[in-house]
Amino acid sequence: MRAARGKKGQFIVIAALLLSIMIIAVSTVIYGTVTYYRQERWEEYVTVVDSIKTASCNLLQVGLANYTQTQTLNQSVLRDYFNQWMRDVRKAYPGFGVDLSYSLASGIRSAYGVNLNYSMGLARTWNQQVSFSAADATVNIDVASLGLKGYNFSSHAFLKMNIRDAVWYSKEGKRYVLIYISVDKEGPEAVVNLQKSNFGVKLSGAPASSFSLKRYYSSAYSCFIYEIQVSSIDLKPSSVEVTLQDTRGIKTVSYTTNIGQNSA
Amino acid sequence: MTKAKRPKNQKSLQGQMRVIEAVMASLIVVSAVAFLYLFAATPSSQPQETSELEKIGHNVLHDIDEQRLLARFVYRSEWANLTSALVVSLPTNVYFNLAIYDVNGNPINHPLMQYGNQQVFDSSKAVASVSYIVPGYQTNYSPRILVLKLVRG
Repeated sequence: MRAARGKKGQFIVIAALLLSIMIIAVSTVIYGTVTYYRQERWEEYVTVVDSIKTASCNLLQVGLANYTQTQTLNQSVLRDYFNQWMRDVRKAYPGFGVDLSYSLASGIRSAYGVNLNYSMGLARTWNQQVSFSAADATVNIDVASLGLKGYNFSSHAFLKMNIRDAVWYSKEGKRYVLIYISVDKEGPEAVVNLQKSNFGVKLSGAPASSFSLKRYYSSAYSCFIYEIQVSSIDLKPSSVEVTLQDTRGIKTVSYTTNIGQNSA
Repeated sequence: MTKAKRPKNQKSLQGQMRVIEAVMASLIVVSAVAFLYLFAATPSSQPQETSELEKIGHNVLHDIDEQRLLARFVYRSEWANLTSALVVSLPTNVYFNLAIYDVNGNPINHPLMQYGNQQVFDSSKAVASVSYIVPGYQTNYSPRILVLKLVRG
């Protein structure tokens, strides 16, 4: 009887010992995990990947701007830029084992309400009432030092200009042309920060020497509108051509012969 | 069956033993926890501080880039505007020094872009460094690497 009672008492000590062993074991595992992840340079990795991603998107815009601004329309400009970019990224982050690859869009795709016919990542339709310039690429990033493989993202650059209306007014001795334009970029998102210097206007093929620009939200068109007024136009023009180069340097040209007339 | 009565002194002895066992058990658990504390590495504030500054620096450069100002400042040599943008965007107690390199690591000539005394950078133990790459501007591909060093004043 006495021995049995003694054994019961020892059970508390044994339980406490077991509990201690458990605490030590669990803590060792937690400690090991925490210290391992604390030593990793997560912040540095995240900033490197994010920096490359942002720069790749910017590169796409630089490529599209080059494509639309040069007279010769160098279709391979995006491929050349990305090939160089792949080499330069390795040089820029030498210790990280960054490996970049890309694929450029090709074929017909429908986006932003238009059909985009891509060739080597670039597409454009100009000299229409609705004109646009576009670029599309998919970029893949591997970072060997992080064990990151196959992180990919799609990047788009897009600029669309729509001549909503062009009207020749002849009222009370004043004769002028009003052109109503909406401009969108990728997203789709309305572009609202353009200035007069971003536009060029031609009436009947002749450059308009001076014009004024107004910006406002139009409830009639249900969108943000740029209103271009070209004064002292005695005859109704046969065509209106508007050239736009946005703040990124991307260019597009809209053209219409559909011109209304409003005479008093 | 009736329970046999135990002598009074034997009962109190058993009670004392329970207390001793409980004290021993507590000591074992406490000593186990104390043993763990010997090996626990408390996180030093220095790496956390550097990590925090890196995050701030990257976010600020990214924000300026998103506003399409960074490339303009760099490629059009608007150094004063770039310095002002960083001063405005960073917290008031964070000092910086910005250097710009080409993709081969050659420094690009520009005036000193620094906020805060050099002494702050020399004396501070936690200096964060953020690299940010800008591929080009408008139609030209010509990558620039911005190295932003940050310290807390």
